[in-house]
Amino acid sequence: MPSTARTGSGSPAPTRDLPAVIEEERLPAGLEQLPEPLVEHSQRERLLNAMARGCAKKGYGATTIADVCEAAGVSRATFYELFRDKEECFGAAMELSLADAMGRIVAVYSPDKPWATMVRDAAAAFLELLASRPTFARMALVEAPASGERAFELYASGKRVLQSLLERGRDDPVEETAIPSSAGRAALSAAESLIVGQILAGNTARLPELLPDVVYITTVPYLGQEEALRQSREAEKAIPRAGE
Amino acid sequence: MARQAGGGNRERWRPPRGRHRLPPEVVARSQRERLLDAAVRVAAGKGYGAMTVTDLTRDAGISRTTFYELFEDKEACFLAAYDRAAEALVRRVAAAFEAGDAWPRRARAGLAALLEALTEDPAVARMALVDVGAAGPAAQRRQRAALQRLTPLFDEGRDYAPGGRNLPANTSRMAIGAVAGLIADALAEERAGDLPDLLSDVLFATLVPYIGPAAATREVGETSR
Repeated sequence: MPSTARTGSGSPAPTRDLPAVIEEERLPAGLEQLPEPLVEHSQRERLLNAMARGCAKKGYGATTIADVCEAAGVSRATFYELFRDKEECFGAAMELSLADAMGRIVAVYSPDKPWATMVRDAAAAFLELLASRPTFARMALVEAPASGERAFELYASGKRVLQSLLERGRDDPVEETAIPSSAGRAALSAAESLIVGQILAGNTARLPELLPDVVYITTVPYLGQEEALRQSREAEKAIPRAGE
Repeated sequence: MARQAGGGNRERWRPPRGRHRLPPEVVARSQRERLLDAAVRVAAGKGYGAMTVTDLTRDAGISRTTFYELFEDKEACFLAAYDRAAEALVRRVAAAFEAGDAWPRRARAGLAALLEALTEDPAVARMALVDVGAAGPAAQRRQRAALQRLTPLFDEGRDYAPGGRNLPANTSRMAIGAVAGLIADALAEERAGDLPDLLSDVLFATLVPYIGPAAATREVGETSR
């Protein structure tokens, strides 16, 4: 369970702790209590599930309300009682899944862990989550950035949370350099691009194998090459092997 | 509507009206080019999602029948426009990378050429890095393929860097993703005019995985002077 205690490092500009970041980014609260996402026990959830699956199959643009209603076994009239339009339904589907995903990242966060360990654990948790939920992976990283304002907002806020988490590295860089303020954002885009490439290539199940790459690219601006390579090799050992 | 393709350089030659003896393939080629120009302009103006075949035929001054002789649908037309733009961008970046200097300097020249090309033509910039996301998985795969063509230029960083062989396998892909992400962020926030100012950020993002933050900061400081 994440602690809300600040680190005792005595840093003059304390890094916001992750629960506070999530609060500020207005992600849904009560993340840890959420059940498995998109459980089919209401018409609304069936529709959200159908929307996510439809998008995973043929993309947001090509998915119609008729497709979603048919897959969910819900009437068109009911759809419009619950959602104004396709965009709102997609936004709601994204919100539910993202809350769960962020909950998992929060769960690995602890102010007492060394920064590099936290980055590695968070990256591992994220990659494993995406691998085990290919529908969510596609929705959150391929469709959401280009499928309506609400979904984009959620996508961007999720990314900002990860960015805040990563930028704690700026507090105690090993190499004394004035790296640009965009370094964290650039590193996240680098990792995201690699991940999205694998998803588009149909390799979602193998995403956890990217952990050493992701750890390297996200830590190198802050830790320097030698230490980032060491962290990357450590991460290599932590990859869950198929069949385990 | 505020976003429009850059000035007269987008004008294409049109075959003379009335009876002429141009071979049909030449006429079709010019019509095709006009439709590709139209796709760039319309997508930049109202977004790919809202773009219709009617918008394209009206903008290009071409009949609907001719459109469907040349393209199956608006997606096919958009993808062809994408490929044309990406080809031109990749060539330009690669040419700037050619200069016989140390790798960080050549990387700087290539990135500067990229930012310059995108600044000259904001409609192409939006299409290449923003609208392409809205155009579905086929377009997204096209974008990745175009970006990956820059990989060999980044891979040279491995030879330049001491210990470059030990770097993770996907280092170049990730560095390209960082550059594309920084540019796309600026475009999404309507900061197209600021693109040239991104040079030090994209250069740092390119160099840091190969030579580390200290050397990358030094190179950025030296080469931007």
